[in-house]
Amino acid sequence: MNEVGECLVAFLFGAIVGLVVQRSRFCNTAALRDAILFKSFRNTKALLVAMMILTIGFTGFISIGEGRTMKFDVGINQVIGLFLFGIGMVLAGACTVSTWVKAGEGNVGAVWALIFTFIGMFLFSLFWSVSYWPPAPASMTGVVDLSALQFGFANAETLQEKLGIPAIFFGLAQTLILAGIYSLILRRERLEKVNAAES
Amino acid sequence: MVTSEFFSKTLDPVIALAAIAVLDIFLFLIVGAWTVGGGETMMTGLIAQFFIGDELNRLPFWNLVFRPDAGYWKIYISLGMISGALVGSILSKEFYIRYPRRLSEWILITIGGLLMGVGIRLAFVCNVSTFFGLTPQMNLGGYLSITGIVAGAWLGSQIYRRVLEL
Repeated sequence: MNEVGECLVAFLFGAIVGLVVQRSRFCNTAALRDAILFKSFRNTKALLVAMMILTIGFTGFISIGEGRTMKFDVGINQVIGLFLFGIGMVLAGACTVSTWVKAGEGNVGAVWALIFTFIGMFLFSLFWSVSYWPPAPASMTGVVDLSALQFGFANAETLQEKLGIPAIFFGLAQTLILAGIYSLILRRERLEKVNAAES
Repeated sequence: MVTSEFFSKTLDPVIALAAIAVLDIFLFLIVGAWTVGGGETMMTGLIAQFFIGDELNRLPFWNLVFRPDAGYWKIYISLGMISGALVGSILSKEFYIRYPRRLSEWILITIGGLLMGVGIRLAFVCNVSTFFGLTPQMNLGGYLSITGIVAGAWLGSQIYRRVLEL
C-alpha cells in the first residue's frame, strides 16, 4: 500500500476509535487510576477484553506469517519511560487517546496537555542529541547489551522461530492469564454487591 | 432509531473496546498495530521545523531517530481520533468549550503533559502501543512497559489523592 493509502487507513481507524471512545467514555488512565484509587473496574474490564481479543488475533496471524509486528530493541528505558508516563497521565487526567478525544469535545485542558506532551518530546530530543541513549533504531543490534541497559528483541514471532511452536499457543496461554485477572475482578465485584446488599 | 440511541446513550466500554480491538487486528495486517506516541513525535518535529526551520538539523535526534515527515501514517491516527470525537460530541450535543477551573489543575496538567512527552520518547512507546500493540504481540517491551506504567500510575494516584485532599 502506498503512503497516501496508509495515511487514509490510519485516519479512518482513528476516526472510528475517536467516535466510540467519545461515546463510551473509555479512558486508559481511568482503567489504571480508578482500579488503584477507587477499586472501580469499569474501564479496566474493557481494557482486558481488548487485550484478550488482540492477543488471540495478533498471535494467530503471526502463526501464519501475517501482520506487521513492532520490531525494536527494548530495555530498561521502557520501564523508566512508562513509569514517568504513568505518573504524568494520572496527574494530567488523560492518556494519549483521551487527550485527543477530550480535545475533540472542546476540552481546553486536554489541548494544554497535548501542547506540553509535545514540549516534553522536544525537551527529550535535546537530551537524546547529547546522550544518544536509548539507541536509535538504526544502531539497534537485536541482542542483549547490558552496558546500554538493552535486552534485545523478543516477541511471539521469535518464540515461534526459536521453539518451533506456533505463536497462537503462547497467545492462548497469555489470554488465559488475562481471563484469570478478569474473573478475579468479576468475583470482587460480586462480593461487593453481596456486602452492599447485606449492610 | 439505532443511530439516535448511539448518540444519546453512553456506549458500554467493553463493546467499544472489543470493536476497536477487531479493527486494530485489521490495522496490524495492513500497516501495523494502533499507536499514538510515534505520530505525536512526528508532529512535534514538524511543528519545531515550522518554527525554527533548518536549525532543527542541529539536533541529531531529528535526523537519526525521527526525520520530520508529514506522510507518516501514525500522525493520521491522532487526526482521526480528534475528528471522530468532534463529530461524536457534536451529534450527541456534548461539545462545549470547557476549561480547568483551578490553578492547581492547570499545574497538574502541565507537569503531567511534560512527563508523558518525556516518558514516551524515553521508552519509544506510549500507553497505546503498550496495551494494544506490544503486549498482545507478546513483545518483551510490552511487559517492561506494563511494569513501568502500573508503578507510575500507582505513584501518580498517591500524589493525586494528596493534592485532592489539600
